[in-house]
Amino acid sequence: MKAKKYKLVILIFLLLGSLNSYSQISKKADREIKKVFSIEKYELSKAVDHKIEDFLTKRLLKISNDSNKIGYAYFGTAPSQTKYFDYLVLFDQNLIIKSIKILVYREDYGGEIESKNWLSQFLGKSIVDRFIYRKNIAAISGATISVNSITEAVNDILSYLTQLKNQGII
Amino acid sequence: MLFRIIIDNLFMRKTIVIIIMSVTTFSFSQEEDEQLNIAQTQLLNLGDLQSGLTIGGYGEINYNDFDNGPTELDVQRLVLLFAYKFDDRVSFITEIEYEHVKEVYIEQAWLNYALADNISLRAGLLLVPMGIINEYHESTTFNGVERPTLDNKIVPTTWREIGIGIAGRVPDLSIRYQAYIMNGPISYNGLYKLQATDGLRGGRQNGAQSQGSDANFATRLDYFGLLGLRLGVSYFTGKTQTTDKSIIGSQVGVNMLGIDARYVKNNFSARAQYINTSLSNTDKYNLAGDKDLGSKMGGYYIEAAYNILPIEATQRLDLFIRYENINQHKEVKGSLNKNLALHRKEWTIGGSYHLSKGSVFKMDYQSKENAINSINNIGQFNMGIGIFF
Repeated sequence: MKAKKYKLVILIFLLLGSLNSYSQISKKADREIKKVFSIEKYELSKAVDHKIEDFLTKRLLKISNDSNKIGYAYFGTAPSQTKYFDYLVLFDQNLIIKSIKILVYREDYGGEIESKNWLSQFLGKSIVDRFIYRKNIAAISGATISVNSITEAVNDILSYLTQLKNQGII
Repeated sequence: MLFRIIIDNLFMRKTIVIIIMSVTTFSFSQEEDEQLNIAQTQLLNLGDLQSGLTIGGYGEINYNDFDNGPTELDVQRLVLLFAYKFDDRVSFITEIEYEHVKEVYIEQAWLNYALADNISLRAGLLLVPMGIINEYHESTTFNGVERPTLDNKIVPTTWREIGIGIAGRVPDLSIRYQAYIMNGPISYNGLYKLQATDGLRGGRQNGAQSQGSDANFATRLDYFGLLGLRLGVSYFTGKTQTTDKSIIGSQVGVNMLGIDARYVKNNFSARAQYINTSLSNTDKYNLAGDKDLGSKMGGYYIEAAYNILPIEATQRLDLFIRYENINQHKEVKGSLNKNLALHRKEWTIGGSYHLSKGSVFKMDYQSKENAINSINNIGQFNMGIGIFF
């Protein structure tokens, strides 16, 4: 009986050690960009080329393929209930949302926003659109904080891009 | 903490409100290279700049004016939440609860280890995933000053046990799942703890020097693939705990099934929950302990609410109505006769005025009747405040 329990302990730790597939943000983003734009190679560069740099310009990148602009990538961070999650929004060159993906969600509560079906509500919208919780963005019971968080974050990005567009920067 | 910063746009001399960020002071090194790779953008993660410790909390202070008894004013619960992130994969979450001002409990305390992107191993004092309220029990998340009676008499909220298991999500299928091996309610510790009026509630151990004679199993599946709708199925099974297995009738078998649904569309919201608990060996238990435990107990509630404020407003005023039907003597075994007073029907009508996200003022009236006394309903007027941050 005792020997069995020792074996069980060892087995559990071996199992734990073998489960180690926590993937990197960069790999996920890379895969998403390639998939969404159906390309194998691309370059990322600063989308806003100004002397004054702020927090936001660092997060907006231009995606090019053979020096041709094909779209933009925005790497965002937004709060969940007790932590932050990272997400990626991809725009085509007409600033239409092509993809939105949660790159890493660091807690269980609110993780429902990773649902592909739910995130698809943002797709195809342009920078003139705005999202209103429960009106054109469905609620997810039990994930209200994170649903509001990502909705506000996307609205903020759209406002920022509108501003850049009006200034002729992008 | 978080706040919205205002970035003065120098080019247009216009002020625009932009984005949520941390007050943590930091500066990025001036990156002169035009080419950035994605790995470098990771340096921009706010998550890395955030302190590992998060403090939150929730609470409710209630006023209950009973038709047939003295009025009670109670700081029902005040709970402090501490979450500590060791790194992206390992975190610890605990809730320290003050009940009725003077009783201190630990409501949750568990270590979470992310095995892979969407699957975590959890161990410690865990919430039993049964029904809606046990997991989402913050006052701002449900209508009514008091929790539904079903989530008190049948599901002994806030029900927690020490255990280990997995919790995960399948984003492509819009599924969340949980499965735990955990301790369970106690039926005998020298005293026979279970009786019909409060079901498994009398056997709650709350992780305090809890006795474990038999492992229990709890699981739950959530589906949220249809926009606005969330469906859940919960299951709890095992034998109750005893300090002396040699006593015939010191344990009962528990099989609890829960089915619930929540729906939100524009200003309308609704929820429903069904719970059925089958208990085996109750005839022997009742005989040994001189108790009246039923062999089946359960019930359901349905609730509908409508927000009468504009949908764009930050405030929300949900008017709601709820009907509950609960029977703790749905079935009985042995020589026990059904006690019709344990078949309750309750109507609750009221409002939840959400003053902001995370704060609510509630008011409602409840009419309660049972199968014996269906004419003289007992009423109860409730008011309360709830917070969640």
